[in-house]
Amino acid sequence: MKQNSARIALLILTAGLVILFLLNISLGSVSIPLKEVIKALFTHTGTNADILWQFRLPKAITCVLAGSALATGGLLMQTLFRNPMAGPDVLGLTSGSSLFVAVLLMAGRYGSSVGNLIQNPWSIAIAASFGGAMVFVIIIAIARYVRDNTSLLIVGLMISAATSSIVSVLQFTSQADDLQTFMIWMLGSVGSTNWSELAVLSLIISTGIAISISLIKSLNGILLGESYALNLAINIKRARILIVITTGMMVGVVTAFCGPIAFVGLAVPHLVRLLLPTSNHKTLLPAVMLGGAMLLLLCDVLAQLPGRTQVLPLNAITSLIGAPVVIWMVIKAKRISV
Amino acid sequence: MSESTTIALQTTKLEVGYKKNNQNHVLFEPLSLTLTQGELVCFMGSNGIGKTTLIKTLAGIQAPITGAVTRHYSTAIVLTDKISGSLMTVRDLVTYGRYPHLNWWLTLNDEDHQLIENAIRKVHLESIADKQLSQLSDGQLQMAMIAKALAQDANILLLDEPTAHLDLNNRVEIMNLLRLLARETNKTILVATHELDLALQTADKIWLATQDKKIVTGIPEDLVLDGTFDIVFQLKGFDLKTGKISHTPYRKTLVQLDGSGPEYLWTKNALERNGYELEADATTIVRILTLSDKINWELTHNNINTQFNSLAELLRALGN
Repeated sequence: MKQNSARIALLILTAGLVILFLLNISLGSVSIPLKEVIKALFTHTGTNADILWQFRLPKAITCVLAGSALATGGLLMQTLFRNPMAGPDVLGLTSGSSLFVAVLLMAGRYGSSVGNLIQNPWSIAIAASFGGAMVFVIIIAIARYVRDNTSLLIVGLMISAATSSIVSVLQFTSQADDLQTFMIWMLGSVGSTNWSELAVLSLIISTGIAISISLIKSLNGILLGESYALNLAINIKRARILIVITTGMMVGVVTAFCGPIAFVGLAVPHLVRLLLPTSNHKTLLPAVMLGGAMLLLLCDVLAQLPGRTQVLPLNAITSLIGAPVVIWMVIKAKRISV
Repeated sequence: MSESTTIALQTTKLEVGYKKNNQNHVLFEPLSLTLTQGELVCFMGSNGIGKTTLIKTLAGIQAPITGAVTRHYSTAIVLTDKISGSLMTVRDLVTYGRYPHLNWWLTLNDEDHQLIENAIRKVHLESIADKQLSQLSDGQLQMAMIAKALAQDANILLLDEPTAHLDLNNRVEIMNLLRLLARETNKTILVATHELDLALQTADKIWLATQDKKIVTGIPEDLVLDGTFDIVFQLKGFDLKTGKISHTPYRKTLVQLDGSGPEYLWTKNALERNGYELEADATTIVRILTLSDKINWELTHNNINTQFNSLAELLRALGN
């Protein structure tokens, strides 16, 4: 991939992101024409401005942040494990988050100290981040013993299965309203973030993205394997830890505020590579960030049935829209790779 | 070219190996080896004896168990490790060679670009520099890996079986390239290889890993004549001194062969391969007649002369 064509592709993706962003904030239960949208953004007055500033902008910005974070996390995992099937959810990261959120929401009733924690709006976020990070540390610890990626993937799936079963037990023993809170959280949502939550989300995700970008050289190096990377003066051990921490942090915070959003992390890197065939993370990383943001904005537009107040669960849309697209592209390209 | 004896790499009482269950598994007796500038060394030995481990230790990728490796120059490697990123192009791969000199944003300056293009040119991959690795043949991929190592601009090249799984043409091409690099650019090149014939014909020196955990070094011809190769490879049916597979004559017929040049060699090959023994004054005589652009074979058998246009016909007649 030539540097120039990569630049053009990134420009097109950026333009697409802007268009989708505007489309996203103008569509909804009340359709606001683009002209009004722009007017309301600058004037801050009127019903339209209220809708935009209180609901649609936070939601759209959440889409952008969560989409890029998940897609970046997916890319980092696929590169780290040199496996196209890798993704945060496959490796049990999201199920770790789910477990800790489930413990917080449902077991919280039994201990007053934990019960107090639920009152804190940040506790779900912290629990989810912690759960994700913990599973990830376990994965990496095991990664040192099993050398090949397939075994590691199986270990990840087993951890997923184990945590899911604990969640099931918790669900079984919990009360109806707690259960419903948890189930809704599990469906994924980008519509419930307020501006102060957005501040945290953007702070952590931009930190994660900054670290990812600083790792471009190492990420490229990992593709050649540890021996070659060492010979090229790339510190793989340090990079590996940073990649794990970054992914855990980003996916953890997204899961915390939006629930476990499926599919984006796994699919976007593949979609991007099929559109923009390169292995260079200098191009891949920004492209994947843009692509992730675009996919989530699009899914959110589709989840919001036009002219209605009803919203479909985000996870249903991401998989429903994304899976056929990926299948089609894989068939078209005949192969898929890291 | 002046004989350069500058030491490029040196090991002192080096023990290489791996750790398993907290126990050191040392692969060779303490090694004191040297590589000098501009020499092509072929490192031979049976599978699993530890060639890869030693190469990785020499390159500084793996820590020695005891002893030390002194590298007087930077080192580039070509390993058998499978690489990911099949979407990368040849040029992308060669660009990796510049990584030790690049910042985190991978900014390439003019010198980097030039070294990359030069490396691609050296291995003759200019025409496919923008092809993806997944579209390359095994030989081309190996050449691209060598180009990556060349772009590193390192004075020492360590290659682990770069000719494995390649056809004869590619094997010869790679060995010739390495030969040329050692001679022209004064690089020190160590190649682990199983290609006995190629190694004997191209290497300045051979490192031979023996079964008793030693590495015997010397120039190829000395090691052939003193029988070291025979001991190491326990050659079965291959006569290294003549460079031929030894045949057991299983037919009774003795054949006298008259002729010269390549025609003689290949007729001899055909006869011996089919179980005939050559004997100077046998009654069955094969005479090679080279008439302008044609080769004919005349067979004298039981005092009857017959001429043949091909060896296949000759062999058929002899067999009856």
